[in-house]
Amino acid sequence: MKTKQYTAKIFEVELEDSSSFFSFFDKNYLFFQNSLLVINGEENDSIKKYLDNKELKYIFNLEVPTQKKQKTNFEAYSKVEEQKPEPVTKTAEKVVQKSKTNLKVLDKLIRSGQEVKVDGDLLLLNRVNSGGSIIVNGTLIVTQVVDGSIRCSGDFMMLQASSKANILFHEVEVDNKLLQERLNRIELIDNEIIITPALKEKNWV
Amino acid sequence: MGIVIAVISGKGGVGKTTTTANIGLGIAQNDKKCVVVDFDIGQRNLDMLLGLENRVVYDMVHVMDENIGIKQALIKSKMSPNLSFLAASQTKDKSVLDSDKIAKLIDELKQEFDFVILDAPAGIESGYEHTIEFADKAIVVVNPEVSSIRDSDRAIGILDSKSKRVKDGQEVDKFLIINRIDAKMVQSGEMLSSEDILEILSIPLIGKIPEDKGIIDASNQGKPIILDKNSKAGQAYKRVASRVCGEKIDFVDVESVNSGFMQKIKGMFS
Repeated sequence: MKTKQYTAKIFEVELEDSSSFFSFFDKNYLFFQNSLLVINGEENDSIKKYLDNKELKYIFNLEVPTQKKQKTNFEAYSKVEEQKPEPVTKTAEKVVQKSKTNLKVLDKLIRSGQEVKVDGDLLLLNRVNSGGSIIVNGTLIVTQVVDGSIRCSGDFMMLQASSKANILFHEVEVDNKLLQERLNRIELIDNEIIITPALKEKNWV
Repeated sequence: MGIVIAVISGKGGVGKTTTTANIGLGIAQNDKKCVVVDFDIGQRNLDMLLGLENRVVYDMVHVMDENIGIKQALIKSKMSPNLSFLAASQTKDKSVLDSDKIAKLIDELKQEFDFVILDAPAGIESGYEHTIEFADKAIVVVNPEVSSIRDSDRAIGILDSKSKRVKDGQEVDKFLIINRIDAKMVQSGEMLSSEDILEILSIPLIGKIPEDKGIIDASNQGKPIILDKNSKAGQAYKRVASRVCGEKIDFVDVESVNSGFMQKIKGMFS
């Protein structure tokens, strides 16, 4: 007998109705390309077909064995449901408190092989070159192009990434294609990662 | 007191040794006393490029370990009376290097010469760290391709953290040479342009050297290309050497294809 062990990202989805499921995945399916979806709810052929179409891996109705509840579980909320007053998650609260006390401003080119670790928020006024790396547990803003790797777990980050960059936000890989504008805002709202272009090239002086 | 300049690149094969040989000779032709030192212990090549292969008797390790005087080990070039050369050991490896001994050696050379040019080994290991340890300035040689640029970026990072000057709270000035530029490939977008490279590395430019097939023959014969008045690369090295000596010389465009005189005339009629 042969066994193999893998470490994979698993996202648990509580299925309520298929229309909110589709509207959520239409927007966010890119984030789940390399992970496994566990869908709890009634098995549904149209959902199966939809997920097969997007080439996502999934299992229906499985109890996920976890030691701790994952910090960044994604839940399917439709836009209408989001507008209901939801309690702010604990992680977000912590970060907001940190941002008030612990901002680091750095004007330094991050070269290949250099690693910057910041406990708190970071404002970087220079480039991150290919091979350089930044790890921040608060908010991150980078004003110039990122070619290297970024790990950020604060409540938002703002940057522009090239196609070489490797961007992880709350341990989830963010697609570089969505970060090509001059400055993009990536934030976690109600456990959803939302990317909005913050500045277009024309407006940047 | 002379200035110590390390020629570095990170990646191998981008033209460090060729650059060292040509700039060394160029500085000597500018009437400055210059010594080029091969720090690539175990893989010396600079002697060949300078055509001094058959004249090496004592090398750097003899001077550091065996009480051989520095004057005995220095070889005067026939191409210019101002140029001297100190060979690397071919039989030892880089583990023989030691900070105190290198400091003493470089100090002696600084007394004698206006410029001390150190040819760094490829890579970022101890041999490289010893080369940059006592450098006042560094010349970074890159080719217009991503792997060369990333390796140089790493080499600059190490220079900025491990050289003695930085540890003393000063800065090591770094200058960039972009080597082996192929104008046609830059025009067609296959090769990185110098603007892109400067943006990534963000250090000042000191020279752009065009690709030149004559360099291979020049290396084989031990006559640096700077001696060839018809070579574009040789002339580019000449301008770099003058800039190192403090002259202000405008940059020549080596990236556009239509820079020749005949092409300009053709352009007028087309």
